[in-house]
Amino acid sequence: MIARRAFLGSLLAAAGTPRLSWADVGSPAWLGAARDADGFYVLLGLARDGAERFRIALPTRGHAAAAHPTAPEAVAFARRPGTFALVVNCLTGEVTHRLQSPEGRHFYGHGAFIANGDILCTTENEIETGAGRIGLWSRKRGYARIGEIASHGTGPHEILSTAGDVLVVANGGIRTHPDQGREKLNIPEMRPSLAYIAPDGALLEEVVLDPELHMNSIRHLAQAPDGTVGFAMQWQGESSDPVPLLGLHERGKEPRLLSADLGEQLAMQGYAGSVAFSRDGTDIAITSPRGGRVHRFDVATGAVQSLARADVCGIAAGPDGMVATDGLGGLLRLGARPEPIARFEGLSWDNHLIAL
Amino acid sequence: MRLILALAFAAGPAFSGVPEAVNDHILPMTARFSEAAENLSTAAKTDCTANALQDDFQAAFDAWMGVSYLRIGPVEQDGRALAIQFWPDTRGLVPRTVARLIADKDAAAQSTKQFADVSIAGRGFAALERVLFEPKFSDYTPDSYTCKLAQVMSADLAQMAAAIDQDWSDEYAQTVTSAGDAGNATFLTKSEAAQALYTALTTGIEFTADQRLGRPLGTFDRPRPTRAEAYRSGRSLRNVILSLESLHGFAQVLADGPTPQIDAGFDMALQTARDLDDPVFAGVEDPQGRLQVEILQQKIKALLPAIANEVGVPLGVSAGFNATDGD
Repeated sequence: MIARRAFLGSLLAAAGTPRLSWADVGSPAWLGAARDADGFYVLLGLARDGAERFRIALPTRGHAAAAHPTAPEAVAFARRPGTFALVVNCLTGEVTHRLQSPEGRHFYGHGAFIANGDILCTTENEIETGAGRIGLWSRKRGYARIGEIASHGTGPHEILSTAGDVLVVANGGIRTHPDQGREKLNIPEMRPSLAYIAPDGALLEEVVLDPELHMNSIRHLAQAPDGTVGFAMQWQGESSDPVPLLGLHERGKEPRLLSADLGEQLAMQGYAGSVAFSRDGTDIAITSPRGGRVHRFDVATGAVQSLARADVCGIAAGPDGMVATDGLGGLLRLGARPEPIARFEGLSWDNHLIAL
Repeated sequence: MRLILALAFAAGPAFSGVPEAVNDHILPMTARFSEAAENLSTAAKTDCTANALQDDFQAAFDAWMGVSYLRIGPVEQDGRALAIQFWPDTRGLVPRTVARLIADKDAAAQSTKQFADVSIAGRGFAALERVLFEPKFSDYTPDSYTCKLAQVMSADLAQMAAAIDQDWSDEYAQTVTSAGDAGNATFLTKSEAAQALYTALTTGIEFTADQRLGRPLGTFDRPRPTRAEAYRSGRSLRNVILSLESLHGFAQVLADGPTPQIDAGFDMALQTARDLDDPVFAGVEDPQGRLQVEILQQKIKALLPAIANEVGVPLGVSAGFNATDGD
C-alpha cells in the first residue's frame, strides 16, 4: 500500500498528463472477479506466478468481463440481468464511472472495446421485444452512451472485438425478462447464432447450427491469433444428452463442432462455462463447473484431454500455458493434469478469467 | 439461525469426519461392490443364462447403490460411473447398442479386454439388464452369442468394480485423507477434500429426487413411467431405498457429530419409500399414485437443508460457487 502511494506521488509529480498502462499495476497476466471469505466481492489482478497485483472491492458480485486494451481499467458488470456496470481504475481501486443501462434495457454481463479502446460495446436486452442490442459507450466522453446497434439475435452474451473492429457476438438465443429473473421464456423456439457485426451495425456473417442443435445456447467466445473463433455452448435439453459444447469457426466456412467420447462428453452435463485458446492457438479448452471438468482439444486433430477439478470455470491463456480458476480459490496451470499455481484462501473465483 | 452461526464460528473448517467417511463408509462399500460384481462374473462363467444370473445381477446392482454417488476419483476415472450404469439414457443408446452387438455378433464379446472398448452404452448394468430381463433377448440358450455377451458384460463389471475398490484402497483413500499436504495436487487443502465428499453426498440426494423420481414423474400432463430407472428388473423403488440408506450412513460419518435432523429426515423419507406399494413407479400415471411419489420426492429434497446444517456447516463447506450458478 505504501509503495502504491509513493508511486502515485511520483506520477503526480511528473510533468504532463500521465498515460497509465497495465505495466503501472504490475503487468498482471489475468483479471478475475471473486467472492472473498467474508462474502464481499472483489476484482483481482494476478501475475503469471499467481502473485496478487491488486485487489479492489466491488459493491456487488461482478464479472471481470472487459479489460481495456492498454489502460489499467476494467469494466465489471453486475450479474445478469443487471442494469449497471462499473469502470474500475485498477491503479487506485476507484470506481471511475458507473454505466446505467438505458430505460428498457439490461446488460447481459459482457463487453468489449473497439476503436483502440475508445468505445466500449456491451451486450444488452431490449426488454419489451427481447431483441438483442449492443450498446456503444464513449470512453473519451466519460463513458457516455453514444448509440446502439442490433446484435442480430436474442440474448446476446459474450462479445469480442476482432480485426478491423468487427464484433463477434454470441447470441445465446434465450429470451429472458427481468421481471422473471433468469427464467427462460422461449426454449422451444430458441435460435442461437454467432454474428459478425460491423461497427455500423451491419450483419457481415451469421453462423447458425443445425436445427437439432437449436437448443444449444452459444454463450462464450474465444479468439485464436489467426482469427478463428471458438464458441462454447450450454445445452437447454436434458443434461444427459451427449451434444457438442464447443465449436470453431473461420469466416466464410462452416462451423466445426468438437466433442469428447460419450462418457467424457456426458460428464460435462451439457454445460460449458468458459472457453479459451492457448496463446499460439493450437489448443482450445472449455470448462464445466457442473461436471468438474476441463476439456482441452487439439485444434488441428480434435484430440481431447480431460482434466478433473471441482467447480472449475474460469479459463484463460497465459505466458506459461493455459490456466483455470475454480470456486475453491485455486489458480491452476493446465498441464498433463491441473497443477496448482496458487490458492487464495477463502476466495471463490467467478465464472471468467480475463487474459491481459 | 443463531445456532448455525455459533457452530460455524466455533468449529471453523473441520476435517474430522473425512477420514471416518473414507475408512468406515467408502472403503467397505467399494469392497462390497467389488465382491458382489465378482460373484456375478463367477456365476456367469458357470451358467450364463438369464434365469441363472438374475439373482446375482440384483445383488451386484444392490451393492452399486452404495457406491454410485461417490462421483469422484476412482468412480469417475475413465468414465467408469457411466460404463457401470448408463442412466439416464435420454437418447435410447443402450437398446440400440445392445441390439447391434447381438445382431452383429460383435467380436468384442470375445474378451473382457476387447469389450472394454465397446461404447459405454453397451456395457454395465443397463445393458446387462436388457439381456437378462427383456423378453426379446432373455430366452437365449447357453451356447448362444447372447450368453457369451452376458458373460463378458458381467466380467467387465467385475473388473471395473475391482479397479474402483483397488484404486480407493491403494491410493485414493490416502489422497483424500492427506488433503492439503505438500505434494497433494488433487486436494490443495483439507477443505477441498471435505467439499468433494460433501458434494458427492448432496448430489446423490439430488440425483435420487430429480432423476430417480423426477424422470418417471415427468409432468402432470405427461407422466413417464417407462423412464423409471431399471424398471425391467423391477428395481426402481429399490434403488431409491438402497441409495437413501447408504447416503444416510455416509452423512452420519461425514458429520462427525450428532445428526438429529438428518436422522429424522432419512427415517421419514425411508418410511415413505418402504410404504410405497409401487416398485417401478407405474402409479405415476394415476393422480393418487403420482401424489405418493411426489410426497416421497419432497421428503428427499427436504434432506438437503438438514445436511447443510449438520454436515456442511461444521465442515465449513457448501455447494459449488460456479456449479450452482450458471452464466
